[in-house]
Parts: sequence; C-alpha cells; structure tokens
Amino acid sequence: MKVAAIFINLAYFLLLAPFLEGVMRKLTARIQSRQGPPLYQPYLDLLKLLGKENIVSSKNWAFRLAPLLAFSSMLAVVLLVPLAGAENLLSHSSDLMTLIYLLTLSGFSILVGALASGNPFAGVGASREMMTIIMLEPVLAMTLILGAVKSESFTISSALSGIGRNHGFSYFLMLVVYLLALQAFVSRQPFDIPEAEVEILEGPYVEYSGPNYALFRYTLNIKRMFYAWLFVVSFLNFVPSGNFWLKLLLETAGILILFVLISVIGATHPRFRIDQAIKYYTLLVVLSLIAIGLGVKGW
Amino acid sequence: MAKKEELRELLKAELKDDFIGEELAGERRLFVDVHNRALVKTAEILMKQGARYQVGVGYESRKGGRGLALVHTFAFDNDALIVIVRTFAPEDNPEFDSLTPIIPGAGWSERECIDLLGFRFKNHPGPKRLVLSDDWPEGIYPLRHDVPHDLMPPATRDVVFRLEQPPPGTSIVPFGPFHSSLHEPAHFSVYVDGENIKGCEYRGFMTHRGIEKLAQTELTYNDVPFVAERICGICGSVHSVNYAQAVEAAAGIKISRRAEFIRVVMLELERLHSHLLWLGVAGHLIGFDTVFMQAWRIRERIMWLAERLTGNRKTYGMVIVGGVRRDINKEKAEDIKQVLKEVEREMLSLEKAIINDKTIHKRTRGVGYLSKEDALKWNLIGPVARARGIAIDARKDHPYAAYDELEFEVPVVDYGDVWGTLVVRVKEVYEAINIIRQCLNKMPADGPLAIDLDAPIPSGRQALSVVEAPRGEAVHYVLTGEENKPERWRVRAPTYANLQAVPEMLMNNKLADFPIIVGSIDPCISCTDRVVVIEIGLQKIKVMRKEELETISRKMRFEG
Repeated sequence: MKVAAIFINLAYFLLLAPFLEGVMRKLTARIQSRQGPPLYQPYLDLLKLLGKENIVSSKNWAFRLAPLLAFSSMLAVVLLVPLAGAENLLSHSSDLMTLIYLLTLSGFSILVGALASGNPFAGVGASREMMTIIMLEPVLAMTLILGAVKSESFTISSALSGIGRNHGFSYFLMLVVYLLALQAFVSRQPFDIPEAEVEILEGPYVEYSGPNYALFRYTLNIKRMFYAWLFVVSFLNFVPSGNFWLKLLLETAGILILFVLISVIGATHPRFRIDQAIKYYTLLVVLSLIAIGLGVKGW
Repeated sequence: MAKKEELRELLKAELKDDFIGEELAGERRLFVDVHNRALVKTAEILMKQGARYQVGVGYESRKGGRGLALVHTFAFDNDALIVIVRTFAPEDNPEFDSLTPIIPGAGWSERECIDLLGFRFKNHPGPKRLVLSDDWPEGIYPLRHDVPHDLMPPATRDVVFRLEQPPPGTSIVPFGPFHSSLHEPAHFSVYVDGENIKGCEYRGFMTHRGIEKLAQTELTYNDVPFVAERICGICGSVHSVNYAQAVEAAAGIKISRRAEFIRVVMLELERLHSHLLWLGVAGHLIGFDTVFMQAWRIRERIMWLAERLTGNRKTYGMVIVGGVRRDINKEKAEDIKQVLKEVEREMLSLEKAIINDKTIHKRTRGVGYLSKEDALKWNLIGPVARARGIAIDARKDHPYAAYDELEFEVPVVDYGDVWGTLVVRVKEVYEAINIIRQCLNKMPADGPLAIDLDAPIPSGRQALSVVEAPRGEAVHYVLTGEENKPERWRVRAPTYANLQAVPEMLMNNKLADFPIIVGSIDPCISCTDRVVVIEIGLQKIKVMRKEELETISRKMRFEG
C-alpha cells in the first residue's frame, strides 16, 4: 500500500493540475463576458507544446537544465506529502526541511533558467521572482513551523495535521495570512508580477518554447495545486479520517473551491507593482511571525 | 473680431515694411505674409500675446516665382483665433531663421522641412535628418515638385544603427520596435537602474507613408478624404472632416447645416469608441484584463452601430468635400438613441467598478506626473493636457461644424497623472453621448447632404482647420492648387505634440509603469509617423538624428 500511495500521489497531481488551470481560465473568461476555452484546454496546450521544436536560445547549459530541475523538484514535493492523510514510503525518509528545500529549489530553477537565457526581460522577471521568493518563502515556512510547534514533530504528516490541532488565535491568524498569501503563492493577479505580460513579456519564460516551456507550465500548474492542497489539508482538516477515497474526494472539492476564489480575485484586480507587493508581503511575514509566537505560547 | 483687428494693427505697427500683406479669410483666421527677416520678431510678438504654437509647414510654390514658402501657425485659444504667418525665400537660397530657440515645439516641423524640401534654418539647435532614412540620398527632397511620388532610391546595406550607450549604473530594457504594450512600431530604449527608469531613448517614424505627397500628386480634392481617413485606424473621421473643412474654407463653400450635424454625430461616435478602446487598453496595460474585456464589449455596440450607419465598423467613408455621403434618417436616429442608452447604462456600471477599485488608484495615482507648467511648456493637448488643469478643447475654443450650437462640458481635472487622463476620458464618454443626443434633436429636418460646386476651386488659397480628435487637437493646413488637387496638404496629429513629453513623464517612474504611462497619451504612431525622432538623454532632452528602424530590420534580415 505504501508503495502504491506514491503512484497515487503522482497521478493525482499530474492529472488534476491542468484541469484546475482549465477551471481558472473558464471562470476568468465568464467574469470577462467571454466564452472561454473548454476545461480540458490546458491538457491540449501541454501536449501541443511537448510536440513542438525545442528552441534553445542560449549556449549556457543551465538553460536546458532549469526546466527539468524545476519540474522534477516539484514532482518530488508532491511525492512526499501524505495525500488524504495516508503516508507513503517516502514520507518516512523526509521531513519539513526536505519539503521547503525542494519547493525553493523549484522556484530557484526558474531563476537560473531566466538568468541563463540572457534576455533583459527575463532578467527583470528573475529579479522580481527572486524578491517574491525571498518574501514569500518565510510565510510558507512559518505555516509549516506552526504545525511543527503544535505537534512537536518535524515529520510532514504530523506537522500538517498539527496546524489545526486546536483552533486558537495562532490557527486563525495563520489561516488569514495563508489566504492573503495564496494569490501570491499561485502568482495570479494582482501578484503575477514576475510574468507581467505587457511589461516584460512573461519575464523568466520569455526565451522558453516547446517542451521546455511545457515543463515550466506543468510545474506552475502543480505548484498552484500544491499550495491550494496544503491549505485544505492543514487548515480544513475537519474531515474524519477513515475512508481514503472519501477523504480524497473532499480534499479535491476543497481545492476546487479555492481555485474559484483564486480566479475571482485574479479577474477583479489589476497587477501590483513589485514595490507595492513587497510592502504587502512584509506585512504577511510579520503577521506569520506573530502567529508562531502565539503558537509557542500555546494560544 | 476685436482680437484679430488688434493683432493685425500690432503686427503692422511693429513690423512696418516687413508686413507684406494679408489674405482675406473668415473672422477666426488671420493669414499674414511677412518678410523673411521679420519671422522671429513676428513669432516673438505673437507668443507674447499668449499664442500657442501649432505647426510649421513648408512648401514649394508651383508658379508665380515666389520660391519656397514657410508657414507657422499660432492659436489664440481664448479668442477663437488662429494666426497663420507665411514667409518666402528664393529658390537658390532657401534659408529661414529658426523658431526653435524661442519655441521648442517648432523643432520637429522645421526638421521636416529640412528633410523634405531642402530648407536651411539659421540657429536651429539640431538641424539633423528626421523624416528620411539614413540611406536616402542627399539632395533629393521628396516634397519638391520635380520629385515623383513613387521614387525609390536603391537601399544601401552598410548603414547600421547604433544605440546610445546607457548611462553608468543602468542597463537597457528595449521596448520595441515590437512589444506587446506598443500597438504600432516604435522603439523606446529604456535605461533602468533596477526597476527605476533613469532615462529613455525614443526612436519612431518607422511607418512614414508619404500620404501628403500622394495627395499633392496623384489624387483630386474628393479622393483625399478617403486617404485622409486612413491616416489613422481609430480617429479616421477626424482627418477626413478636418481636410474637408480646410478645403471648404479655402473654396468659400458653406455646406448644409444638416451635413454639419451628421459630421458631428460621426465624430462623437468615433470619440466614444476611441475612449472605450483606450479604457480597455489601459486596463490591459496595468494587468486588469476584465476592464479590457468589458470596455471592449461595450465598445462593440458602437462598432455595430457604425456598421449599420455607414457600412463599415471603422473608416466610415462618410465625408466628402461639400458634405457627407449618407443620411441619418429617423429610423437610424432611433437606432443611435437606443444604442446610446445601452452604452450609457453599461458605462455607468463600468465606471463605478473602476472608480471604486483601490488597486487601480494605486497603479495610476501619481504615475507619469507632469505639472501644469511643464504641460504648458510642452504644448500638450487633449485629455493629456486636460488632466493637468489646462482647459483646452478645439470644439469650444475654435468651434467647427455644428459645435457652436451644442451645449457640453469640457472636463478638466488637475491630478496631473495617469489617473487624471482616465477620469477625463471617462467623463468625455458621457459628454459625447450627450452631444450625439443633442445633434439628433437639433438637426434640421431637411437640407442637402452634399452641395455641388459651381466653379473650380481657385488656386493659391490657404486654409487651416482644427478638429478635436479623441486624443487632442488635429491640425490640417491646405493650400489649394491647380488641376483639381491641393498644392500642399499638411497634417499634424495630436500625438505629434504629446509624444514629446513622454520621456519626461517616464523619468523616475517604475519600469512596471512604462506601459501605462506611454499608453496614457494614447499614442497613435501611424498618425504621427510622418517624420521625426527625438532622443532623450538622462534628465535632459536632446534633439537627435533620426536613426532608421529600417536599417535595423535590414540588418536583421541580412545578418540574422
């Protein structure tokens, strides 16, 4: 069972992530009075990109390595997590640090690829991405550390379930902070600043095309799904454990609701400037630190 | 008109023998001929009287041995008067005094004359090539009569464009020649320090089409309105109406009142669709695509309406010299009223969503700021000026067509930033709706759509017409000629004036604000690209050589 769980994890994220993008695109389109593409459009997009010529515009080897590294480290992240509360074989050989490390590695790979391309727009995008990572990683880390503090354990599954162990001040404060940061975690408006199409032409990805770009797209899809999933399992863990499939279904429903929220916020906001966003992130970091303090106090 | 008498007497007294004569014209125009040597003095007198410089026009007299002529126009917006000053130079020595030292806005017009007519300007700070590409041979001046309109000198391949080096501590982010925030070819080489804009080099005039030369050689009076309409893909009617008005003024034709009202209806419909288009693009430029989609959905009703009225969504083809081509009957008037009702209702809810959106405020307040003094210095026009507290609108200041009979407000705010231009344009949408409704009610029930001319249009007459385009005042100068065609036709689109101030608006803003700042003037490159390139260094504006984009494309083609 523990070996099979690895494959269930993999299939769950790989198959569902593009569909969620489809949901997002459809909803955005409806809000904008458009028909919108069919829900399965992102699968077609990925297939199409995978079938295209892989144009390598930079002689730097990091340019080719970056999409592979970004995608594989993101895959590693979703392999480690306990889906529907079920631990798998890999969960035992990892802890919170592994998770945070792999997530950062994935974001970092995008930076490396952007800088290796040598494109000035990618350079601007990379610097924005870097600032975003620096400001947002702490918020994610604090959320997980709150779970570790509460459960007094560094393993992933106990930390995740620890966040919602008791619903004290720290729980509610961290929940609000995470929700406020969610739009930035999934880099949708108003926080799609590193990509900003009209300013810097998709920033880090400007030189990427074909399969390389497909990998980045897929990485982004899985990353978005992961952040939504993390919220559902850590903050909304009211679902009684028992039937694995029922729990998985309820978690999926939670993710879908979050994506509706993300789409609506994304469609009703213009993009922030990076300096405005940094101020916002700073507030989030401070609030999450306070939440940790409260958690240590046992509140 | 008192101001006209006053100015004429003043000029006569000050210039004495250098005041050559005056051409008879309506009460709102004063055409004077002055001696070559008194040009700067005349300009100084007029500027002291509160004039706003509009445009300079050069031409070669076809006959009469008067040599080469240079025309400068000065608007007195408070007195509904435009003064047109003309001066001549002999063909073997086409030298004039430059006005650029006292009026910076004259620099482009004068350089255009250097390129296209071979004029020379004394004391011009940067008399460099502007309109023509670098490989255009010396000594061939396209607007001279002996140069055919389809002359194509062989291109040379060894001309390579070199970008300026960025100032120390900054790097270049290239916006253009093709970029998703620019909808037409133009090139901004932006110097950034991190995310801060520290300067910018602008290169434009890549799509010079030689429309004026075409009109002067191949077309007749009534062909030109259709070509004029194609100067711009958004404000086409502005140019065709403007041209027709200039020719009618020169020929002394009075068109029917009904035709004038129909022209106003088309102009205001065009303003409606243009402002909604801008609003959508502005939303897109700050990453707010919902505003983009909703604004364009509302705009679509106007496009369909235009198609029902004229047969075309855009480029209406309604205007000819002497009137209009299609009627707006009762049925169509009802149709218009119905559409306007819908548009007004939808616009109100869109406006509410925009005005109450805090993040839009965050992205536009204080962005691209320019003070009223700077705006006056740069001779800004249209919504860009009205957002900076300058109440100027050709519809009110120099009434044309049926605007004298219509009541409307000219919205003016003093935010001085992108938000201000947004507010002005949103308010103007309602004013345009209001104007069209008045037109439909006040329009005389009968009257010919177009009148026939009894006699050929006499040659050698000048006329100047202004029309308030959605982006600001557009100026057309016409000198009538022989063989049923204009001898000289000069178009000055509003972007020509506003684009000059963009580098100063950009200074010290964030890179992320570049698209919306450039977008805030609603640049129309195809209107403007009859010439000109400015280059802007750090904190200062220096006039610079037009380097050819054409060269870049060639370089890419052969080396790339």
